[in-house]
Amino acid sequence: MHCEPFEYEKPVSLREFESLYAAKGEDAKILAGGTDLMVLIKEKLLAPRLLIDISDLHELQGISFDSRQGLTIMAGTKIAEIERSALVKEHAPALAYAAANLGSNQVRWMATMAGNICHASPAAETPPVLLAHDCELIIGKQGGERTLPISRFFLSYRKTALEPGEYLKAFRLPPLPERSAVAYRFKGLRRAMEIDMLNIGAYLELSEEGQSVSDIRLAMGSVGPTTYRATATEQRLKGMQIDDEFFATACGGVVQEASPIDDVRASAEYRNRVIGVLTRRALEECLEIIASRGNKA
Amino acid sequence: MSKHDFDVIGKDQKRKDGPKKVKGEHEFADDIQFPMMLHGRIKRSDIAHARIISIDTSKAEALAGVKAVLIGSETPIKYGIVPQMPTEYALAHQKVRFYGEPVAAVAAVDPETAERALDLIEIEYEALPVYTTPEQALAEGAVKIHEDNKFPGNIAYEADQNFGDVDEAFKNSHYVLEKVFKTSYVNHVFMEPHCAVSKFDTNGELFIWSTTQIPHYLHTHLAKVLQMDMNKIHVKVTGVGGGFGGKGEVSNNELISALLARKAGRPVKVLYSRKDVFLQHRGRHPIEMRVKVGVDKEGMITGIDYNGTMDGGSYGGWGLVILFYTAAMLHLPYNVRNVRFYARRIYTNKPTCGAMRGLGGVQPRFALESLLDQIAIDIGMSPYELKKKNAIGLSHETVSGQVVRHSEFRKCLDQAVANSGYLEKHGKLPFGKGIGLAGGYYISGTAYTLYMAYKPHSSAMIRVDNESGVTVYCGATDIGQGSDTVLGMMAAEKFGLPFESIHVVSGDTSLAPFDLGTFASRVTVAAGSAVCKAADNVLEKLKPVAAIQLGVSTDQLEARQGKIYSVFEKSKEIDFWKVVEKYIDAHGPLTATGNYTPPRRTGNFKGANIGHSPTYGFSAQCTEVDIDIETGEVRVIRVTEAGDCGQPINPVSVEGQVEGSIVMGMGQALFEELKVGKDGRLLNPSLHDYKVPTATDIPELKTTFVDSYDPDSPFGAKEAGEGPIQPVIPAIFNAVYDAIGVRFTEMPITPEKVLRALDEKKKQEGMQS
Repeated sequence: MHCEPFEYEKPVSLREFESLYAAKGEDAKILAGGTDLMVLIKEKLLAPRLLIDISDLHELQGISFDSRQGLTIMAGTKIAEIERSALVKEHAPALAYAAANLGSNQVRWMATMAGNICHASPAAETPPVLLAHDCELIIGKQGGERTLPISRFFLSYRKTALEPGEYLKAFRLPPLPERSAVAYRFKGLRRAMEIDMLNIGAYLELSEEGQSVSDIRLAMGSVGPTTYRATATEQRLKGMQIDDEFFATACGGVVQEASPIDDVRASAEYRNRVIGVLTRRALEECLEIIASRGNKA
Repeated sequence: MSKHDFDVIGKDQKRKDGPKKVKGEHEFADDIQFPMMLHGRIKRSDIAHARIISIDTSKAEALAGVKAVLIGSETPIKYGIVPQMPTEYALAHQKVRFYGEPVAAVAAVDPETAERALDLIEIEYEALPVYTTPEQALAEGAVKIHEDNKFPGNIAYEADQNFGDVDEAFKNSHYVLEKVFKTSYVNHVFMEPHCAVSKFDTNGELFIWSTTQIPHYLHTHLAKVLQMDMNKIHVKVTGVGGGFGGKGEVSNNELISALLARKAGRPVKVLYSRKDVFLQHRGRHPIEMRVKVGVDKEGMITGIDYNGTMDGGSYGGWGLVILFYTAAMLHLPYNVRNVRFYARRIYTNKPTCGAMRGLGGVQPRFALESLLDQIAIDIGMSPYELKKKNAIGLSHETVSGQVVRHSEFRKCLDQAVANSGYLEKHGKLPFGKGIGLAGGYYISGTAYTLYMAYKPHSSAMIRVDNESGVTVYCGATDIGQGSDTVLGMMAAEKFGLPFESIHVVSGDTSLAPFDLGTFASRVTVAAGSAVCKAADNVLEKLKPVAAIQLGVSTDQLEARQGKIYSVFEKSKEIDFWKVVEKYIDAHGPLTATGNYTPPRRTGNFKGANIGHSPTYGFSAQCTEVDIDIETGEVRVIRVTEAGDCGQPINPVSVEGQVEGSIVMGMGQALFEELKVGKDGRLLNPSLHDYKVPTATDIPELKTTFVDSYDPDSPFGAKEAGEGPIQPVIPAIFNAVYDAIGVRFTEMPITPEKVLRALDEKKKQEGMQS
């Protein structure tokens, strides 16, 4: 398939990359895995003048953990590495699970989580989990960086808060408090290689006595122009006892806050109906994880 | 099976092409390169129905690197797989009839240049109304999609058949049930896209390498469209990465590559993208069927009334043949004496439907197996009992005159039911879980060629010598189903040699003698018979030589385990190759041919030639589903299959066919559907959006053979490639009924439809209570 010609650069240091991107950022696209980008270029939906390949930048690779800052995942890390990482499995198992359900094995060895986030598709797999974790994004630009909570990253359909010259450098997932858990649920037509009809990331933190909600985050995908949190519902749920009413409020709330459309994958009616089911299942899973941790301790 | 003592037949045989495919060594059409070879690309219409006013190719021709540009008026010769009713052109001529129809083609030094040139071709259209459903195409005043079509309006073909007295049968029935069923618009999704490379030599002879099921029909089409003598054309089938019927028609890329090669004077490759494959299509016909079945008090079928409207898409293709197959497939595997059939195939502005695994059978099977299931439940009988009672016996003649010489269908029902625990489960599983039973059958070949001819349908030549060993030449085409292995195994068994020592040369019109091609599950029986006869004829020549050497009479000799020996005195033996050497020393080259023509049967009604087959394969399946009643997801968890394919020649290949059939059928039942916009555009022509099952969706598969041997077939074998897909879809639908009490009649069963149906059911139950 032919596409418009573009130039290709492959910087070998972060400094080289940053100065190149600062100079030519407006006409350039960052090439990490290319699993989305190359498809868009071939379909002639994008025609960048320059592709900057960051796959050699070791500064953007790796996964680390410390008890104060939590889990740090550098932007160039492949989805497959996130899926397999012992650190991710321990500190963010729902993220490992979401990563394992992204595309095919071949795609996972090419794609990066930064790409999954920056393309800002409302159906993407990792944003609901990262929103549930209330992940912090470290955003770089030449000679500096800033941090931004992921809840302020997605502006509208495929639009992000990245300014010209800025790039996504790392994800930081704060350590999970005791009596808390994150779960991810999704629904596609088939069981793999899917663009989800729906997905949800849920974070649940129980109070000390373990009977009521001290904090909760519900992040929904494919029910609006971006992945976003059902913040009004979250507010209502805080402080509630874990009982039937809690589940009813959660499931009813997400349906109210969802604003899905009909598309080739599912109808709005179906999405409205099943988002509540996935929410309940995700919250039940959170409770199970918390209970099983409590038993172990 | 054990009755027959074979050394090679019936034993799992690794294919010679297997390791080569794994290592990337097997040569497919896209692997072929020639010096100076050009790449052809196709300009497709961006309108579904229009007259072509003008085409300006001047800018494309001026682009550096472009060597030839071709448009439809340069090749205004109509062709079609059914030669009596040609409807297609290599490139649209005067009119386009679907969105994405080939209108012009470019050959250039590389694919990128060719694609850039396509953008420079300017086409002016005069738009016509677009019909994407039979209903629209049949509306009063609708424009004719084919102006020269002999049938009224957009009816491509129309036929009826009537056997017995259906009205009388229904009048005397204990119970009659009628429902409307709708099947979906699905594609084969073979792994390898179409690709063809054409090359003219200096003497003007054409060599074409293509991934096709039908080298012979490609040969005839090329002669017609290029107006060349057939003996100047050499068709060579490369490795074929699946066909399933989709490569059972000549594809535009094959003709275009040859036309471009002639015009440019250089070899031209035309490789399709996946989107091109969806536009070439030839997938399963969506059919809306109103079907009525009656039974007596005992559950015996009294009559079937069928009224079907097939959505044919824009061209003829295999359409009318499939229409008559649909008629033929109403009878078996049950004994039915009163049948009425009416069907019409409608032209619409969509990619053309055609032959797809189990053609003609899958849609009526879906309707009939669903209805029989419901009827049994409604009259308080087990669906197994009802189907067993009506199942045909060891041999049968249908009311339409098809002769089944051998059937073990009843054994299939018994074995699938016993192995799955159907009787213990059906009607007794918790809400959301269910089991369904369905039976099916398919032809093992056809009685007639597509054009009137009396030549044998299959022929083979075997050459034996001490230098090259045994070489079997046969025009049959291995499209991945493993026919080269099966034919080689048959020759090995005949000669008493190991399979590894047999070479099979197939799919080459210059080297191998004539064969019709790979379709209608014909190859094992037809080409197999030809190979067996050729082998017998070789042995006829060898045995007298061995007889003299051994001093015994010819008729007591047998060839086994590398020897020719007396069956009465095994010590009187001689090495096979020694006999070959002595034969050649005395007589010269050792070759022999064999051929096969199926028994010809017909009747005194329209379409009577279609449906006859030398023999038939049967199968039954019990399928278990688990439904998530909150999300509507239907999960097929286990399929228990029992098949009558006669004697399996290569059992591991048969298992592959059965498992592949189940997964393919399941895709159509649950996921797959080509979606079409109002303007006729395909909305999901990619494997991203068109959902075939993945490895994670595949259920537990328990496939078994029933004890079976067709004494009139080569080594007792029958088909296994298309029969096993017949029961898949209705077995799933019947299981869904068992799970949630909803009788779906439309494919696919998506989660949305399940939730909606459950709502509806709740509402109705609420009204009743």
